Order: sequence, then structure tokens, then C-alpha cells
Amino acid sequence: MNAVRQLGNGVFSMNGREWSLLVACLLAIIIFSVASPHYATSGNAATVLRNSVELLLIGLGMTLLLAMGGIDVSIGIVMGLAAIAIGRVLGADGNPVLALVAGPVVGALLGCVTATVVVLGRVPAIVGTLGLLGVYRTAVFVLLGGQWLSGLPASLTNLLATTVLGVPVPALVIVAAYLAVWLALRRTPYGLHLLAIGNSEEKARLSGIPVIKIRFVTFVISGILTGVAATFYVATYRNVEMTIGSTLALDAIAAVILGGTSILGGKCSLIGTVLGVLLLRILQNGLLLIGVPSLWQPVVTGVLIIGVLGFEAISNRFPVVQLLRARA
Amino acid sequence: MLSQFKKALAVSVLSLVVATAAHAADKHKVAFVPQLIGIPYFNAMEAGGNRAAKDLGVDFIYSGPVDTNPVDQLQIVQNLIDQGVEAISVSVLDASSIAPVVESAKAKGIKLFTSDSDAPDSGRAVYVAQATDEGLGTTIVDELVKRVGEDATIGIVSGEATASNLNAWIGFMQKEAAAKYPKLKLLAPQFAGGTAERAAQISGDLMAANPDIKAIIAVASSTCPGVAQAIETAGKIGSVIGAGYCSPNTARSYLKSGAFGFTVLWDPEQLGYLTVWAGKQLIDGKSFEAENKIAGLDKPVTYDAAKGILLLGPPAVFTKDNVDKFNF
Amino acid sequence: MKTLRNLQGPALTLTLLCGLWLIVILGLLVLKPSVYNLGTVTTILQFSTILALVGLGQGLVILAGGSGIDLSVGGTVSLSAIVGMLGVKLGLPPVLLPVVCILAGAMLGALNGWLVNGLALLPFIATLGTFFVYSGTALAITGGAAQAGVPSWLLLWGRGVAMGIPVPFLTLAIPCFALAGLLLLSTAWGRWIYAMGFNERSARLVGIPVDRVRFILYSLSGALAGAAGLVSLAWLGSGRPNIGQNLELESLTAAMLGGIAITGGRGGVGGVFAAVLLLVTLKTGLLQLNINTVWQVGIVGGLLVFVLLADRLSQRWRS
Repeated sequence: MNAVRQLGNGVFSMNGREWSLLVACLLAIIIFSVASPHYATSGNAATVLRNSVELLLIGLGMTLLLAMGGIDVSIGIVMGLAAIAIGRVLGADGNPVLALVAGPVVGALLGCVTATVVVLGRVPAIVGTLGLLGVYRTAVFVLLGGQWLSGLPASLTNLLATTVLGVPVPALVIVAAYLAVWLALRRTPYGLHLLAIGNSEEKARLSGIPVIKIRFVTFVISGILTGVAATFYVATYRNVEMTIGSTLALDAIAAVILGGTSILGGKCSLIGTVLGVLLLRILQNGLLLIGVPSLWQPVVTGVLIIGVLGFEAISNRFPVVQLLRARA
Repeated sequence: MLSQFKKALAVSVLSLVVATAAHAADKHKVAFVPQLIGIPYFNAMEAGGNRAAKDLGVDFIYSGPVDTNPVDQLQIVQNLIDQGVEAISVSVLDASSIAPVVESAKAKGIKLFTSDSDAPDSGRAVYVAQATDEGLGTTIVDELVKRVGEDATIGIVSGEATASNLNAWIGFMQKEAAAKYPKLKLLAPQFAGGTAERAAQISGDLMAANPDIKAIIAVASSTCPGVAQAIETAGKIGSVIGAGYCSPNTARSYLKSGAFGFTVLWDPEQLGYLTVWAGKQLIDGKSFEAENKIAGLDKPVTYDAAKGILLLGPPAVFTKDNVDKFNF
Repeated sequence: MKTLRNLQGPALTLTLLCGLWLIVILGLLVLKPSVYNLGTVTTILQFSTILALVGLGQGLVILAGGSGIDLSVGGTVSLSAIVGMLGVKLGLPPVLLPVVCILAGAMLGALNGWLVNGLALLPFIATLGTFFVYSGTALAITGGAAQAGVPSWLLLWGRGVAMGIPVPFLTLAIPCFALAGLLLLSTAWGRWIYAMGFNERSARLVGIPVDRVRFILYSLSGALAGAAGLVSLAWLGSGRPNIGQNLELESLTAAMLGGIAITGGRGGVGGVFAAVLLLVTLKTGLLQLNINTVWQVGIVGGLLVFVLLADRLSQRWRS
């Protein structure tokens, strides 16, 4: 039922949590603008958006995984492995077109590996990907062999730094990825099946949904999106270091949870994920601008998770709030 | 790598008879434990150590943790002691990371000493230093003032907040600024952990928060790519210069693009050589002279008997004009 | 019949672990006979202590079901060690250091318990939030600096060795595991924990105080993490604000390797104990053979996947 109701949502239509996140973003922007004269500048806005690109792409994939009751804690290192492939291609002959393909391909392949263990091996996703996290990390070390890929040619950077009709390429890619995932989720049987699996895998199986196929494909989609994120990473930094992506998985999970996707599956919000990523980045940026040391940033992330979800849990208990919500 | 893989396989799967070559038992053994493996800096030290081992006829063991975790480092040191390696050098993450094993090393007659990062008052035999912490801190501030003038704002982006050697350098930067350049405004250090992404994010935020910023110092070598990228994407090449402690190979493309003005470093290969030489010297029971001429090194090495410090020499400054002469 | 089959799970894992452990030991014997002395045993146990304490708490929380998990254990270890040292700096009598560390851990764990019970947040989400808060706070309030000033009598305990066994392992880890084993096997509480892990709804129906048990288990996991923080102080001689780094993942690995089902209700603390020893022995073995440390994470990860797959396959064969 839940899934069917959500099918009616428009591309950018929003529910209660999503409105609160939007209000929180705007409120934060207003407060920071008052507190710091340097906040509301176009340069700073560009900085915030630029720093959200990888997390947005990975977050979209993570949204799908959580919505079907899965998870992937190794996703940051998958980005690292894809980045190594891109870096090697780029370093060999500087051909940016081949490099564009390398990321998504390696991402998809690793998605297949993860899916083989988790889906075909029927191992709980959190533990299975925890094991793979270790394996992938060793692969990163061995492939890099202690040397970073440094000073990569700028051909890929130049290609992705262009604008089409005045819109920067990264923004276009993110909008395209968003629309593609949204369409798959809300306008195809795939999305319906995904949410049904998230609600109850057992019931989904009994009603004839190809559970294994859907779950397998979702891990591959997440891998592809991560590969695209890796492409932007390499284009931006022209450097692949050993610690690449080590904090991304937990950040992505945090953003998706903030956005209102349930980790029990069955409920999912793409626009919520986008707003969750932006809220995290806006707060990290703004707090530094008003002089809070960067070491406090993880604390802010944690307080935000507990605060937002805790507040929702409490407010659900008061009938007045529910009444107001029903009327709205 | 392949033989290591075989060994690893032998342990985990027990193919019983993959007996590896017998150890040359009569050779002395010298070990070096870095703060972290898989970064170019320590890799270069390993290469120097290997060269020294060949020249001096000792076995050289290089082994370090995959995360900057003091317990992992301690475990590695403890196992080297258990193996009876005669001289063990450690680039300590913190003085406490070797404190528990100093006694047991002494009891076994093992020479435990520090290299690259010191633990004073721990009872270590000697400290093999690349340059003094003071020299490193003051050089970078002096060089920056030459380029941006005394009346400037300078940001600092470091790696792990817990790295005691990096914090010591920052301390000397602040001391130098306060003593010699009263008009210079050094911002409070920000910590990016080990990833280039976070370093870029924080540098971008710092530039937005301080529009009058003239320079950013990347303290940990892992933060150099991030700082340089942030300056490039913000379009601030020319108005903000990056500087830091990173190797010519890592910084080359940034020095050429103008995002970096210069980097300060010593030759880690020479430091690795000196470390193994010092270990051999300790095993042989020979004391250090005030000035030591060593065949494998370019310059003589001084020894400060009062502090127990063996000094490689003053740090070198790399700019776009001389960077191509170096390859490490 | 069904319960019988379920009991075979942990037994299978335990056999598997012991087998693997023997393989590691034999492998070492062949490749490097010189490691066989008491010193190696001491080393292995010394580096097992912290992981054993944290893994025990993690295991109990998962065992009690309700999607139980404690991602904040690493942060709790760091923060309770730092709170203890800052307390001493502010004039707290050093004699109270052990109490303060364990109490601080218990309170941080109790906060997790309240978030899970009182606010009905999913454990994964609640403890992911507190993971960020605890580990971040430990770093931010110290600025990353190690906190010195551990009294020397505590160092005597932390670095002491009796009969080849490190004193903290002997006096803290072993008793904790023995008590937990006793609790699980022969008290009503133990049966409650298994029952609520196996099927929470029926556990509630038969009158088991599920919420109270769960709250106490989260507090206990915190207290054990606090004890691990104390061990780190007594051993290293200073409070490190990132000492618990990666412990959430390592303890999870130990609990899963030890045969505790992620859904709860299946497994035991004996398996966790064996898994911790296996993990540390494996690491020690690889170090003794001077195999590059990059292989450690991969081998441990591969081992985890292998054990999980083996468990799955054996279940399929049986049914």
C-alpha cells in the first residue's frame, strides 16, 4: 500500500520531513548570513555545491539500497577503486573519453561482486559489506603500491569544467542522475518491486516479485553512481591517495537517514537525500565561517541525526501535532 | 608482493609446505616502523633504508599500520621486539605509542630509537631527525612572509589532530609569527583527517571566511592535494598561495599551475638511509661523532649529544624552478 | 526440532573458529618455529584485552535482538578515557579514575539505551548519531592532544604480567567473559536475552521486561567500553582522544565471526572470545612473518565473508 501511495509523488513533491529539512537549510543560511559578512557570496555558494557532488551521487545509490532494506558500508572504498582505474587510464594516454567510461564500468563490476556475496550468498548486507570493506581496502593498497597517483593530466578536468547553456556539467549530471533514479523508482515496475521488497522481502517473494534480480540490480546501480562520483573526484583533485573515500560511506548513510529514508526499507525519499546532503554541507561550511573549529563537525552531524529523528519521534506522540499535520 | 601473497595464503589456508627461503640468520636486523604505510613519503624512506641495508650488509624490515592508530603501531613494535630484531626505529604517532614497550626492549638488549617523529623523555636511544621541528616551523613562515609580506592572513590545514609531530611544527609556526612578525595573522589550525576531500572542503571554507587570506599552509602531506585543488577551483591562483610539507612529486603540478608557491621538505630517501645507518651503529655499540661522514649520504650529519638528536640537515625549499630536478 | 537446529549454528561456528585458529598456529610453526614461547602468548593476550571487552558488549547488544547494534563503542572508549583524564586534571583524586572511566562509559551507553527505548530510534541510527558525537567530542575538547598524567600505580596494573598473562586480561577480560557466560547460560536474564532476540513479540507477551533488559545491555556495553578506555590509560600511560578508532567495525567483526546472528537470539559469548583471540593471533602471525600489513584488513574481511557464507551453506544443506 505504502509503495502505491508514494507512486503518486511528483518529481520534486515533498512531505513533512522534506519541508522541515528545506526550512532548516534556509534557516541556517539566514543565520549564517547575519553572523558572517562573508557567508552570502556566490563564491561560497559555489564552494558548498562543489563539495556536495560526490556525496550527492553516492547518496542517491545509498537511498535505493536502504529503501530495499540493504546497506553498503564499503561504498567509499569502491569509489577509491574506481578512481584508481580512472587515474590509470588517464595517466596512460590522457584520453578523457576512455576515462569517462572507466569509472562507471569499474563501479558496476564491483557492484556485481558485492551483490554476489550479499544477494546470492544471502549474507546480511551490513556484515557482508563490512567484510568486503576490508578486502577492497587491501585492493586499494596493493593497486597503489604505496605511491599515490599524482599530477594526473588535466584533460578530464577541462572536459568536466565546461558549461552547457550556462549550466556547469556536474550540476547537469546530478540532475540527470536524480531524474533517472526518480523515474526508475516512481514510474517503473522496478521501483514498485524495490519498495515492496523493502516492506517485506517474504511477502514480495510470495507475490512473485523477482527478489534476487531486483536486489542484485540495485547494488549494481549504486556501484555505477559511485563510479560517476569517482570520475568527478579524479577530475577535481587529479590525485588518488590511499585514504580515498574512507569517510564517505558513513556520511552518505547519515545524509540518507536525515532525508527520511527508513533503514528498515520500504520508505524512501530522493529529494530528502538531496536536502540531507545539502544541510550537512551548509552546516559544516557555515560553522567554520563563523569560527567553530572543524573538529566539531562530526559532533554536529551526530547531533543533527539524533535531533531530527528524535524530534520526529517525540512529536509523533503528541496528538496536537498529529492533528495539525493531518489538517495541513 | 607476490611472495608476500604466498605467505599470506600459507597462513590463512595452510598449504603446509610452502616453506620460504631460510633466513640469513647471521645478518643483523634493523627495522623501521612508520606512522602509516602507503604514502609516498614513507615509501621513499623505505627505499633509502633498503639502499643502506645493501651497503651496510644488514636485513631491513619495514612494517607499519594501515591507519594512524597508536595501538596498531604498538602491536607492530611489540612483534618486532618478540622477533628479536636488534635495532627498531619508530616514527611515533605520539610519545605514548612506544611507552609500554621501552622497558621490555631494554630488558632484551634491543635498541629502540625514534626517527622522523620523536618521543623525547621516553628513554629512546637516539632520535634521527630530518630537521629540527623548530627549523621546519620557522622556515615555512619565513618563506611565506618573503612572498606575501608581513601584513597578511595565513590559514593552516593539518591532517590528524592527534599527530604530535605535526602539532609541534604548528606550535613553532605560531611562535615564529608572534616573535618576528607581529602584524602577521596566523589563523587557528583546522584538521582534515587523512582525506584530500576534507582538506579541500575546509580550505574552501577558510577562503570564504577570510576574503583577505593570502596563503594556506598544508601541514600533512595528505592535505596538499586538497589545499591546492581548493585554490584552483576557487579561481584564487595568484591571490592565495599554497605551501606545505609535501614531496616534489606530489606538489609538482600544483607548483607549475601556481596554486602552490613552494613546499618545504627534506629528502626522505636520505632520512631512511640515515635511520638504518644509525641502527647499525647502535648494534655495533659505536657512538656518534659530533659530525659523521657517511658514504651513502650527500652531506655530513651532525649529532647533538645533549639532546640525543642525529640531524640530517636543514630542510630544502622546492619551487617551480627547481622541482624538476627531484624525483621523490 | 527448530530450536535444535538453531543451536547447531554457534557450535558450528565455534568448531570452525577453533579449526582456523589451529591452522594459523600450525602454519606459524612451520614457517617460523621461533615464535613458540611465552612472550608471544603475552603479546597476543595484551592486544586482545581492549577488543575482547568491547566485543563482549557489542555481542550482548546484538544478541538481544531488536536490530540491536552499538556503533558508538569506539567513541565511548575514547571519550570515557578522556573524561577520566580531564577529571584528574580538574582535581579529581586519581584513586577514582577507574570508577570515573567505567561510570562515564555506562552513562554514554545509557544514553544509547534511552534513545533506543525512550525515543524508539532504530539502534543503527541512534548509535550512528552517538558515534559521531562521542568520537568527535573526544577529539574536539582536547584539540587532539594526548592527556598525560596517569598515576604510576595504575601503570603497574596496566603493564603487569602474571604467569605470562597480562594483568588487565586476567583481572578484567576473563572475569567479564566468565560472568557474561554464566549470565547467559544459567540465569533467567540469560533466557530472557535469548528469548527477546529470537522473537521479541512473544517475549513481551510472556511478560519479559524487554525494555528494561535492553536498556541495561546498552549501558553494560558502554560500561565495558569504559573499562576498555581504562585499560588503554593504564597501558599507554596517557589518554588518546582517538584510541577507539575503528573499534566499532572491529568489534562487529569479532561478534559476527564469533557466530552471533545479526538478527539476534543466536550465538554466545564463547564464540566472541574465540573470535577475538583468532583475530589477534592472525595479526600477530602475519606480523611475525613480516608480511606487509596491507594484507591484514583484507584477510580479516575475507575471513568474515567466508565464515558467513559457510554458516549460510550449512543451514541450506541441513534444511
